[in-house]
Amino acid sequence: MPAAEQQQKPSNRVLQRAREKGRIEVFPDVVAALAGHAASSCYGVMGMSARGLRDGVAELLRRGNLHRGVDVREAGGRLVIDVYVIVQYGTRITEVAHNLQSTVRFEVERLLGVPVGDVNVFVQGVHEDRVEH
Amino acid sequence: MKTESSTSSRMRPEVVDGQLFKQALLGSLSWLTSNQEEVNRLNVFPVPDGDTGTNMLLTLQSAVEDIRESEAREISKIAALAAHGSLMGARGNSGVILSQIFRGFAKHVQGKQQLTPAELADALEEAANAAYRAVIKPTEGTILTVAREIGKAAKAAAAESNATVNSVIRAAVRAAKAATDNTPTQLAILREAGVVDAGGYGLQVILEGFLRTVEASDADQLLKAPAAAKAGPAQAALELPEEGWGYCTEFLIEGGDMDVEKIREEIAAMGNSALIVGDPDLIRVHVHTNEPTKVLAYASGIGNLTKTKVDDMSKQHRVILQGATPGQNGASAPKAEAAAAQPRQNGVGLVAVAAGSGLSGIFKGLGTDAVVEGGQTMNPSTQDMLKAVESVPYQEVFLLPNNANVILAAGQVPELTKKRVHIVPTRTMPQGIAAVVAFNVGRPAEANQAAMEEAAKQVQTIEVTHAVRDSRAEGVRVKKGDVIALINDKLKHSGQDYGEVVSDAVRGIGPDGYELITVYRGREAKDADLSQLTEALQRDFPNLEVEVQDGGQQHYPFIVSVE
Repeated sequence: MPAAEQQQKPSNRVLQRAREKGRIEVFPDVVAALAGHAASSCYGVMGMSARGLRDGVAELLRRGNLHRGVDVREAGGRLVIDVYVIVQYGTRITEVAHNLQSTVRFEVERLLGVPVGDVNVFVQGVHEDRVEH
Repeated sequence: MKTESSTSSRMRPEVVDGQLFKQALLGSLSWLTSNQEEVNRLNVFPVPDGDTGTNMLLTLQSAVEDIRESEAREISKIAALAAHGSLMGARGNSGVILSQIFRGFAKHVQGKQQLTPAELADALEEAANAAYRAVIKPTEGTILTVAREIGKAAKAAAAESNATVNSVIRAAVRAAKAATDNTPTQLAILREAGVVDAGGYGLQVILEGFLRTVEASDADQLLKAPAAAKAGPAQAALELPEEGWGYCTEFLIEGGDMDVEKIREEIAAMGNSALIVGDPDLIRVHVHTNEPTKVLAYASGIGNLTKTKVDDMSKQHRVILQGATPGQNGASAPKAEAAAAQPRQNGVGLVAVAAGSGLSGIFKGLGTDAVVEGGQTMNPSTQDMLKAVESVPYQEVFLLPNNANVILAAGQVPELTKKRVHIVPTRTMPQGIAAVVAFNVGRPAEANQAAMEEAAKQVQTIEVTHAVRDSRAEGVRVKKGDVIALINDKLKHSGQDYGEVVSDAVRGIGPDGYELITVYRGREAKDADLSQLTEALQRDFPNLEVEVQDGGQQHYPFIVSVE
């Protein structure tokens, strides 16, 4: 979990909620990590890619960096999550993206109890089987 | 009354060619169609992939769409069409995975005319591998696991010296079932909900349908989908429009501010027998159409779909026709057959579902006309029951599901036949036996219905088995291997030995007012277990009579009834 990353980011405190017993804050990187894990467990998703294309090449992120393929914002009290992924070649990409949206929404809402507004999926690359016969 | 048994194997395919593969997939489609609700009911995830059964069915429908018309003999062509169709029509997570399985299979059989048993096994294994390749963190205890076990078992079976296509697929089906049954041990969410994985079960059903076709003798009947389909319960099967409307499609649309009139017109244009009712927030749709996917796609653009149900009516129709072939000339000539067998005074037949040879024998001994094999883990389909109902020489039939999970499927039978079918919703085997005993040949069906239901209610059923895992359900804590007793389908008691647990259960029911304890011995029960159980019962309940019957059921060493 990237909770150790305490760099000063402009919008660090995304989720603040006043509760009877005190405040609960969840850092955006945590949301991003949760979303990244949910996304990478989705069928057809071969990996997360770094936001934005550098030199037109989508970079496949390793496990520890999954949150880097996720962008979390707050808009009107709801979360907006952008997910950047690389998808398996030969799957129905729209359907994989649909499943991805509902899984990310479901997992984040389940784990954080915060309504998710939008989940935007950006397919940045297609992954082809290496093991071919 | 002899009916064509679809499981008799006159044709023993040595290889799988394109046409056999096509028929088998069509068989898978109809088998999944009739088990769709079953699959949907297994869903435990509240959100993602809510209707696994429906999603897999729509994906499979799309897979076979293009191959229906194809006469290609090369398996590579048919497999490629199926892969393409499933890719284009993939719906939901399970649908996407299914499409990958098809894709892997198609890739492996590329350029092949036909498959030997060994090649078939390789293709099945490769199909699973392909499905695994499209996910980085595969979750075990899902459809993926089942696909892999299918491949493994097929390979093992193909390595046998006398391997045939049948033996390979049969082994694969067995492995699919075992893997599906095992999913709760792999996924906590399934364990808590007490279900098997829906997608895995769906794949098992698809493969079962495949096997049924390969084993079925009459390939031709499955080949030609009849042009005329049954259009509705009230309509005669033989007086139908030429075109036929293949699928009975039903669902609810949940939305806001929907224009009911417009939606009615649009959907009615896609089929016939359209029945669209509702208000701007909720619309109920029933339509017969050749393109259920089109209707569903249109409707899903309007609002959320729930209770989706798509039935292949051509298949149902075919089953009705097949079931009615020899000896009786279909439902259209009822007079002839009444005289054939010894007619029962009230002209009412009995059909029961029974698990195990002993129980079947008991039902038959009590006068049941036809027994459908099935029970706890192998639920008979609506078609199986329909066939049995059609096979008995009476126009009015009682159908006893004898299992809580079968009642729903049984409920569809009356709509599919011209016979008058009455369902007595018996939930357990002993309830069914009590109902059959209460059946009186001197009385009309209506009077019998009430008497049979009443008799079934009087019986308390205790099902005794072993816990397959640690769990806690309905306040009872169970350890793996414990003897557990379910009273009327609810887990109530657990313990170390049969005698103790069953005595507790009988005490829990309260033995006052009952006279007889009947023990139906299952296949797995040992002599020592039986004597230990009966001794305990006789010791603890000296006022009750204890009777032992051979039930022969699987999974439950003992079923005990108290009445």
